[in-house]
Amino acid sequence: MTAATETFPEIPFFDLRVEEEDLEAVAETLRSGWLTMGPRTDAFERKFAEYVGGRHAVAVSSCTAALHLAYLAAGVGPGDEVIVPAFTFAATAAAVIYCGATPVFADIPGRHDLGIDPDDVERKITPRTKAVCAVHFAGYPAPVDRLRELCDERGIALIEDAAHGPGATLGGKQIGTIGFAGCFSFFSNKVLPVGEGGMLVTDDDDVAAQARTLRSYGMTSGTWARHSQATTTYDVTALGYNYKLDEPRSAMLMSRLRRLDNDIARRRELIMVYRRALSKMDGVTLPYRDEDVATASGYVMPILLDDPDFQSEFRARLRERHGVQTSVFYPATHTFTAYRERYAGVSLPNTELAARTEVTIPLFSHLTDEDQQRVLAAIEDALR
Amino acid sequence: MSWRVPLADLKIPEEDVQAVLDCLRSGWLTMGPRTKQFEDEFSAYVNSPHAVAVSSCTAALHLACLAAGLGEGDEAIVAGMTFVSTPNAVRYTGATPVLCEIGGADDMNIDIEDVERRITPHTKAVIAVHFCGYPAKVTELRRLCDERGLLLIEDAAQAIAAAVDDSGRRAGTVGHLGCFSLFSKNQLPVGEGGVVTSADDDLAAKVRSLRSHAMTSVTWDRHRGYADTYDIVDIGYNYRLDEPRAALALSRLKRLDRDIEARRELARTYRSKLAGLEGLGFVWDDQAVERATHFAFPVLLADQAARDRFRERLQGLGVQTTWYPAIHRFSDYRETYGELSLPRVEEAAERHCALPMSSGFSSEEVEIVVEAVKQALAEELGAAA
Repeated sequence: MTAATETFPEIPFFDLRVEEEDLEAVAETLRSGWLTMGPRTDAFERKFAEYVGGRHAVAVSSCTAALHLAYLAAGVGPGDEVIVPAFTFAATAAAVIYCGATPVFADIPGRHDLGIDPDDVERKITPRTKAVCAVHFAGYPAPVDRLRELCDERGIALIEDAAHGPGATLGGKQIGTIGFAGCFSFFSNKVLPVGEGGMLVTDDDDVAAQARTLRSYGMTSGTWARHSQATTTYDVTALGYNYKLDEPRSAMLMSRLRRLDNDIARRRELIMVYRRALSKMDGVTLPYRDEDVATASGYVMPILLDDPDFQSEFRARLRERHGVQTSVFYPATHTFTAYRERYAGVSLPNTELAARTEVTIPLFSHLTDEDQQRVLAAIEDALR
Repeated sequence: MSWRVPLADLKIPEEDVQAVLDCLRSGWLTMGPRTKQFEDEFSAYVNSPHAVAVSSCTAALHLACLAAGLGEGDEAIVAGMTFVSTPNAVRYTGATPVLCEIGGADDMNIDIEDVERRITPHTKAVIAVHFCGYPAKVTELRRLCDERGLLLIEDAAQAIAAAVDDSGRRAGTVGHLGCFSLFSKNQLPVGEGGVVTSADDDLAAKVRSLRSHAMTSVTWDRHRGYADTYDIVDIGYNYRLDEPRAALALSRLKRLDRDIEARRELARTYRSKLAGLEGLGFVWDDQAVERATHFAFPVLLADQAARDRFRERLQGLGVQTTWYPAIHRFSDYRETYGELSLPRVEEAAERHCALPMSSGFSSEEVEIVVEAVKQALAEELGAAA
């Protein structure tokens, strides 16, 4: 890696803009001198719970941490299986392994729908299945209503990986509030970004209480409780972690949450423009339907190339000729070296084809109409 | 009611605030150039070839244990007087923490003879803790570990820049791996954060890989066009720090020596103003005070009951204190590992109490603490008479 090859994209696939009001919220928190999880994190948790319509929201250090705590709350442990999609970021499966359990990969329905396939989930249930994790891919709700029924009938916990939410709804309910627990991400490229951060949402009092204890070392009281004189000592009642968020990040999230609906509305608008233009181009297939966009969070804009051997060349053309950055959501988890070594022989044809043909094109709420047109023109050129 | 003097008082000057705001304005928050710069400066500061920034010291310890190769069936000998993260990190890997003794109530660091007694064929590593910022005898311990083929991990969460010997060699650089904390109460605070150091290229590479899901490229590399995709080569974690916290750490690192000196001066003040008071003892000696970097200032009372009364009286006077329970007495450890006996750890845990310690206290605040301690001890004597 030398500086000579360093090229920043002219149009990145995601871009984060921190507004003046966010800066003030963070500055005010820093000046207070209290950085450890405390009143600002409490307030953000309450606001977030209210926003998604869940009973409890527990702020954590990342969505990976939220998934780990959700699986633990579902009782996932050694000898258990958890059914997860492979068309997702690897954390969905990795957190299963943290619990000592085995991830069992389910396929996606096809090029029209990149979320988990409930039929394949059903086929993969065994007596060892303890939980199912559904990913709301790109912010399009997975069929968690159907999965919930499937899981409830068999006493299996349904976890929602809502990293690509919040703001998406299914049947009027926000994703992440339909299963046993929902896990959200505040990573930099997400719809509600803060750098690193996550949230576990649940309606179950015990799950929330356990997550609260385990995110802070299994301690019976935290630094803030001792500072505010609620208590002067503590016990450790379980093997916990340090999955705490801190106050500056909570303050920034609280500030950004106020603009989330506007941001999502703009994302949906941009998606519709993309869809109208791309549907006229040969060589590209768009997953999901136009009518799905209104209830999606608009996290990213996935497109699928029709030529299964064109992904790398297409992305290189966009970048080199037009300065347009793209990403691949996602390389399939079961095809990574670490997973092939551990779980050989997994075959998921729909996931594998999608991973080979998917390209994620630029989308963020302050993407200008002009830049969007440049992206579209670049795609048209690259497809030639 | 609020404390007249809290346990720690973090002050964040305007230059720190501006450093964070500059970072936020840049719009790049994911681990990138600022984190890299922080790692470079941290590595130079503690004088270790590699420094890897992570999300917490707990994460640092977990990654250090994984890099050390700990797993099911292995044992790691862990200092019995510490925060619960130290032995927990061993448990995360599936290995068993074997808690060991400390020198005594007046030397709360790991006892090397007891370490030696607890070595079994399953032992793979030893974790020493520089408790409260006072350096443990890691040079001697490293010799033992080398003789027995064990890895030494230093939990330097509380001891950044502490001198382990006369040459000024810094805590966290003697063992194979060193773990540091950037928690709000520590000497270099950013909220939540940590660092792993190592002189070993392979151990550092392993830690670096596992902190970000063992991905072969990170978001920042892909943003700059160095990579367009990635493989995942192990089961890793999201233990990344982010750029605003790296910016804050960088800004504060410039003042760290001064902050530590202020803490040391406060320790000296406590030791001179509280010397010879009946019913109060100090931990460690004057030489240790000069080598330590003073995360906390522990004092000793006659026994647990006297310590508890002392804390209550100080609380009544608006002075916040804390203490470290013995790990093996926590419910979860009793249930998991049964009843252990570590008499010196127990005695230290029962008798100690940490007084307010911070780089930002004014002389008025120090005076409040000193007077409160004197009053609490006088009341204790009066009650006994």
